[in-house]
Amino acid sequence: MENVVLAQSEETNEGNKNSKNETLSPLGKYEEGMPWNPVEKVILERRSTRAFKPEPLPDGMIHRILEAGRFAPSTGNTQPWKFIVVNSPEILTEMEKDAIKMAKFFMFFIDYTRGNILRRLYILSWVKWIIRFMKNELNPVPFALMSQIAQGKAPVFHGAPTLILMVEDKRGAGCPATDIGICGQNMILAAHSMGAGSCWFGTTKLLMYLPKWKKKFGIKYPYRLNDCIGFGWPSPKADGMVPRETQLVQWYEKGMNDAPRIKKQGE
Amino acid sequence: MKKFTLIDRLRIPTYDKLTHVQTADLYFNAKKCKRCGICVRVCPGGCIVTDKVTKNDLLQDMKKAVKCGMPHVDVLKTGATLCMACFCCGAACPQGAITIKRNFNPKYFYKRLTQTSDMTYPKKY
Repeated sequence: MENVVLAQSEETNEGNKNSKNETLSPLGKYEEGMPWNPVEKVILERRSTRAFKPEPLPDGMIHRILEAGRFAPSTGNTQPWKFIVVNSPEILTEMEKDAIKMAKFFMFFIDYTRGNILRRLYILSWVKWIIRFMKNELNPVPFALMSQIAQGKAPVFHGAPTLILMVEDKRGAGCPATDIGICGQNMILAAHSMGAGSCWFGTTKLLMYLPKWKKKFGIKYPYRLNDCIGFGWPSPKADGMVPRETQLVQWYEKGMNDAPRIKKQGE
Repeated sequence: MKKFTLIDRLRIPTYDKLTHVQTADLYFNAKKCKRCGICVRVCPGGCIVTDKVTKNDLLQDMKKAVKCGMPHVDVLKTGATLCMACFCCGAACPQGAITIKRNFNPKYFYKRLTQTSDMTYPKKY
């Protein structure tokens, strides 16, 4: 069994490592089976970086990243965003400390995975109702992350030297949260194309329970802060292609009454 | 494609049970691994640990990683792991010593409907 695993690992890692003499195709052209063009390469190799060098990005580069965000598409050109750049190490450590404090506070009441069996069963009896109503915030993945943060096993902002807070204007047309997402992805791709690393941190939400930080960043009506992105030089370099699950995609190609053809994307 | 039944939809999700969350499997090749600690450092939730160091230790001082032993996936009391199959460790590993075998596949309330369990690299169509 172990031999099989080893043999397969050698095979699969071929595709993982990027060859140095890789040829890229020019932009604005498509032929079947052509190599990646630079834009696709940045998109496919982007990995969220969660280990940074302590020195921040140069100011010019942050301006350039913000420029990519400024030119993002938005519903009806409402541009429902406000950017806040936090570069100061003092404020960052304070934010980290307070976020950990809040995670510990919440996890004391709702962490059903820790403690002895009596505590677990008691907490689970009512936390499962909370999960029903906050199914996105308390999805098992962020829940486990908050639990790790409360135990001191994982950091909140992963030592990112620059944070760009993406403040959402609630009055935006359509769905302003989508516009924020598009804007953030633009900035992230710009950053990765220049060799920087980035990561979305949804845990900024923890700070919004404290009036201190709301006042500090001026988050009041009509603004709302859900996400922020951390930027910095990656250390170690974490970009690379990884395998992902294949998707079943419905293709409607025939008439109104015909069933869609299901194609496997990625195989 | 999978579908939700009414019972699935009415069930209140709890993730305390191992049977509800199928977490990803990572294999670490002991021969290729140089014990550099990079995978421990890049892991999003601090799920990869070695016997002596965790992610928080390495963020403060990378030198602690030397001679700290093989990395492995942290197993919780309930038997589940926290791995969510992002495979950042595999992309960052300079030796190519990490392999992923199984995808992250939550069940019941959060089960994935249009996804198969094969994992493939990006394909040039």
